[in-house]
Amino acid sequence: MAAAADVRDMLDLPAEGQPRPAKKQKVVEKRPEGITRELYALLGERAPPIAINENKYKGRPKFMNKLRVRKWCMTPFANQARADGLVLNHWQREHESTRRPAPEPNQMEVDETKEEGKEEAPKTKEQEYAFAKYNIKARLPRRYTDEEYNRHLKSDDWSREETDYLMNLVTEYDLRWVIIADRYDYQRHLDSEPDANAIVPAKQYRTMEQMKSRFYYIAATMLAIEHPPSEMSEAEFALHEQMLKYDPDRERDRKDLAALQLNRTADEVREEAMLLEELKRITSNEQNFITERRELYSRLEVPISVGNTAMYQSSQGLSQLLQTLLQADKSKKRRSILGPEGAIPSPVGQTPTQSTALGRAETPSTTAATKDAKKGPVAPQAQSALRTLTPAEEARYGVQHHERLSGGVQFRSDRAQKLTQAKSNVQTQKLASALAELEIPVRLFMPTERVCKDFEKLIQSVNLLLDARKVSEKVESEIRVLEAARAERERKNAPENPSKDPEHPEVKTEADEGGNSMLGSTAANGTESGGSAEGETGQAKGADAAVDAVPAKPPVKEDGNHKRSASVLSSVSDKSSKRQRR
Amino acid sequence: MNPSNPPQAAEYGGDEVSAIVLDPGYSTTRAGFAGEDAPKSLIPTYYGKYSADGQEKLIYGDDIFVTPRPGLSIHNPIGKDGIVEDWDMAEKVWEYSFTSRLTGAKPGNPFHNGLNDIPAEELPTEMEVELEEKPLADSPLLMTEPAWNPAKAREKTIEIAMEKWGTPAFYLARNGVLAAFASGKASGLVVDIGASNISITPVHDGMILKRGVQHSPLGGDYISSQIRALFQKNSPQPITVTPHYLISSKTAVEAGQPPQAKYRTFAADKAPDASYRALLEERTLSEFKECVVQVWPGPNRLSATAPSGAPNEELARSHPPRPFEFPDGYNQVFGIDRFRVVESLFDVKAAIPDPDSPVPAPTQAQTIPELIKASLGGVDVDIRPHLLANVVVTGGSSLLYGFTDRLNHELMQLFPGPRVRISAPGNTAERRFGSWIGGSILASLGTFHQMWISKKEYEEHGANIVEKRCK
Repeated sequence: MAAAADVRDMLDLPAEGQPRPAKKQKVVEKRPEGITRELYALLGERAPPIAINENKYKGRPKFMNKLRVRKWCMTPFANQARADGLVLNHWQREHESTRRPAPEPNQMEVDETKEEGKEEAPKTKEQEYAFAKYNIKARLPRRYTDEEYNRHLKSDDWSREETDYLMNLVTEYDLRWVIIADRYDYQRHLDSEPDANAIVPAKQYRTMEQMKSRFYYIAATMLAIEHPPSEMSEAEFALHEQMLKYDPDRERDRKDLAALQLNRTADEVREEAMLLEELKRITSNEQNFITERRELYSRLEVPISVGNTAMYQSSQGLSQLLQTLLQADKSKKRRSILGPEGAIPSPVGQTPTQSTALGRAETPSTTAATKDAKKGPVAPQAQSALRTLTPAEEARYGVQHHERLSGGVQFRSDRAQKLTQAKSNVQTQKLASALAELEIPVRLFMPTERVCKDFEKLIQSVNLLLDARKVSEKVESEIRVLEAARAERERKNAPENPSKDPEHPEVKTEADEGGNSMLGSTAANGTESGGSAEGETGQAKGADAAVDAVPAKPPVKEDGNHKRSASVLSSVSDKSSKRQRR
Repeated sequence: MNPSNPPQAAEYGGDEVSAIVLDPGYSTTRAGFAGEDAPKSLIPTYYGKYSADGQEKLIYGDDIFVTPRPGLSIHNPIGKDGIVEDWDMAEKVWEYSFTSRLTGAKPGNPFHNGLNDIPAEELPTEMEVELEEKPLADSPLLMTEPAWNPAKAREKTIEIAMEKWGTPAFYLARNGVLAAFASGKASGLVVDIGASNISITPVHDGMILKRGVQHSPLGGDYISSQIRALFQKNSPQPITVTPHYLISSKTAVEAGQPPQAKYRTFAADKAPDASYRALLEERTLSEFKECVVQVWPGPNRLSATAPSGAPNEELARSHPPRPFEFPDGYNQVFGIDRFRVVESLFDVKAAIPDPDSPVPAPTQAQTIPELIKASLGGVDVDIRPHLLANVVVTGGSSLLYGFTDRLNHELMQLFPGPRVRISAPGNTAERRFGSWIGGSILASLGTFHQMWISKKEYEEHGANIVEKRCK
């Protein structure tokens, strides 16, 4: 819950000046129990702070008085898990059926109850003790007979007596080897060989492995005697195999290793932890490395375009491509976040159109394209399912169709504002001064949609203009330098054609610079304005103004245009159009 | 949970047969009904003997502390190693432990209480038979024993229970196992710090591993002897412990000043025995242990340096000292010395030398880390990590402040590889009565009732059956 202060803060209200008048608290004193209402009313408002009624023991709730107390009685019981029939007593609830719910002082019934109780008592006694079922023993192999022992189980290491002792222990401790090995204390009977008294036999110490090995051997043999291996079930056979394959030496080695592992010093433990950490780091880095490499490979493996790209080099071709792509996209009903172009992997994706999409939010070319697409055959189809609005209605209701929506809420004026912020401060200043010259405030007064759109166009035009000016200035200075150089050369050497050859690299660098430094938007602007110039849409007054405002621009060269890549196309076409106008 | 409904027996597997659990120790004897959470009857195992009117009289229970009767001498039926020495008296003390609080005195014969005096000639003859009433005739008895109890002692125990007390069923359980049960573990390494002994018992699946059982006499009494040695060496003057019964009045004195108290004196023929004084001095020392003594919590020994490089003794000195006032009013603060008196449980070189003491100086093998090492050396290597992850600390002397921290550090140092986890109940009663509580749990389990040795079985097989059944 937000506190009042928070709400005030949010609504920009002044802080709590004076405390609100405290709410009148209704003091309702509870009438204590045990006083009649009339008497309590006589007490007036301020009752003396003394307890008028004394605390009473609450006792059981009323409804419980009607219930009968369920009786418990000390019942003897015998445990079936015991052989000696020891009878112990425990408290048990008297059996349910012996109780009568409605006790009527009826002699007959009382007698009946008594009789039933008598019947019940022996029954409960006979009942099986609930915990007797937990008395379970481990499943052990059948004990060998003398004959079986002599035939199959004789061993040099283990005497018959010791084997018996082992089997007894195993039975007694339910195969808990840790305990068996702990309690194993077999004393060989010496009375059979009285002369051995001279040499006190060293107390034979059996390891757990020896015991296990002997036991498993016996168990496996007994299993094989009962069912020959050919008749065994799968589980039995697996067990048989497992028991036969027990290798005490290997087990001992394993335990030695375990002891070694347990008795490491602190340094060793630390070192191991460090090494493990290192290993983890290496493996995780390896994973990173592999993914990076895979990424690189996947980039390298992009199919190289073999088609002719010439048709995309004009802006018309480009917008056509855009439309087809859009249509394909729409028919797939896939709305990609990246924008229509970004989703289609194509070698042409490297063309300025893509950089447009990745760059500034909205550029005229894309908006134009999307608008075209919307007004194309697809949009009405999609809309026909819904209630179609006429453009007038759309305008009236302020319905807009967005090709893509960025997350979050934005102010339209903010977006317009953002346009005036260029990459560099100088550029921003230039933009601002241009706007000042046009007497347009940087912050729009009435940022309606149309105003914003026009503002956007204006800004683009100004940008374009500024770019053009920059380029032209550059070119001019170059020309000046070159002309100076030519003049000098002409003076020195035989007459030749100096202007054409060095021109190429110059222009190219200029164009590259334009493409790189101004990023997509500029390039796209170029495309757009070029398109507008060529396609006679005449949409942008600003563009015209830009063209007009280009300071005297000397013709640079005629050839070389068609050689340039699409990225260069924009500025060049723009330039050429300007030249045409001229 | 609705209190008017009993818990379903299947919920906790319990089935109470009103068994009595008797957990005799060197210092105290605990007895109570199985299924309860603490022993109802807690008496000192010591008993008093004096003669009055030419008759020898015995007193049991807390009464032994109260009155300095002439010639009162204090004895303990249990030997220093925790094994019963005086069986007759042990039987009487144990019997007192449950008859005084649990089973109660049987209603005497109505003819003997003086209300029904009838002429001698009308005395019925069959009355004599009823006089032989057994104190435990209707309660099964679960007793505990140390893990190193010899077979003779076990047989003697069942003899007493069956023949003298007439219990219908009997079981003898190891206190290490029960302490593990009390902390909810069937397997674990039980570190029991008692009054006369400390013992390490590895428990696996509810059974002790005999080869891993270790015990040494560095228990609470040893710490008392160290405290006495410390008092002897105290400067400027040695401290003498005067028990309360010898003080008739005292006045408050400044710390370190000689006491100003009026002492009570007893005439030579009225004075109690020296053992009585020793017993009461021991009470004061217990108080000292509870209030002042502290185990250096680690990470290293007190004589070593801390990981930061500073010597631990310096760190220990920086702890604020603790004051203690003796019964005669003498009081003093104890600084680093309060760490020194218990340091020898872990580091034998730190023992305060005391040639006069009846307690022999400890050896390295008797310290707790060495005992644990030896104990783990005696069990299978596969279960050692499991045991280390389930170390159960129990026994009254383990309540020394900082004991479990130190034990943890020592174990981590001894075994840096496996995970060491100590489970020591924070509740004082649970720590002191760990093995009794385990017995209370065990004897109230429904599945346990098949384990009792019944009277019938005892009569059939003789006392030797305890070796077969109580493994």
